[in-house]
Amino acid sequence: MEEFHSGDEVSFSPDEASNVVKECIEGIIGGVDYSQNKVNQWTASIVEHTLTQLVKQGKPFKYIVNCAVMQKSGAGLHTANSCYWDTTTDGSCTVRWENRTMYCVVSVFAVAIAL
Amino acid sequence: MYDLAKKKAAHLLKKRGSLSSLSSHEVKAKETFAKTKDSISTVSYMEEPGHHDDIPRPAVQMENTCQLSPTRRFPVLTVTSYLQEEKYEPELCRQMTKTISEVVKARVKDLMIPRYKIIVIISIGQIRDQNMRMGSRCLWDETCDNFSSHTFKNSSLFSTATVYGVYFE
Repeated sequence: MEEFHSGDEVSFSPDEASNVVKECIEGIIGGVDYSQNKVNQWTASIVEHTLTQLVKQGKPFKYIVNCAVMQKSGAGLHTANSCYWDTTTDGSCTVRWENRTMYCVVSVFAVAIAL
Repeated sequence: MYDLAKKKAAHLLKKRGSLSSLSSHEVKAKETFAKTKDSISTVSYMEEPGHHDDIPRPAVQMENTCQLSPTRRFPVLTVTSYLQEEKYEPELCRQMTKTISEVVKARVKDLMIPRYKIIVIISIGQIRDQNMRMGSRCLWDETCDNFSSHTFKNSSLFSTATVYGVYFE
């Protein structure tokens, strides 16, 4: 049996998703310095835009988008995730982004819907 | 030091009969200086932007059986018991995040009703002069899917743990 996507089955494409995420992050906090007043807005925008763009792709998935923005201060941060799902159809991707004053880590999890 | 983490993980996971592979990495330790407490806000919230029910579905017999009280009782004890005494150290925390996420997943699997997919996200960070904000948005079926989260803090580190449960027909 070939390991291609047949017409009906779609599996998650991490590359496409990570491009979507990178564009969203760049668009929202691209050239800006960390600001405590705005960070709330930023995280909300990043997550919303990413989700909207993902939905536009029209694939049969439920999505969970997680975003963390952290000021650069020499502190360390570790993130891990563990998922119990169907590995043939579901997937995730994580994008790490940084500029001079802050880090941004966005994770997208896509869970297939049974049609 | 991360042998301790490995031992804890192996012990806990043996009970559950599942396997976890922890890989070890070479890491340069970060110096920790004055451990000042400051505001670290961690927020995890969900919102459903809108339905996209274009795809006509055949009548689903099981539709009404999906119900999920916020991911039952969140395995809070796991997180606190692992981290209570610990000081932030890059190597240890690297292992810790992986360990805790595996263990929480295993425990939630034990509690949960069938037909749910589970996603566990763990973050451990050092407390320094920084602010941090975490947010999440989910596109799912609000009647069936839900999440639960917990944050923990001691004098040198903070940790957030979130579990999402997604119904699968």
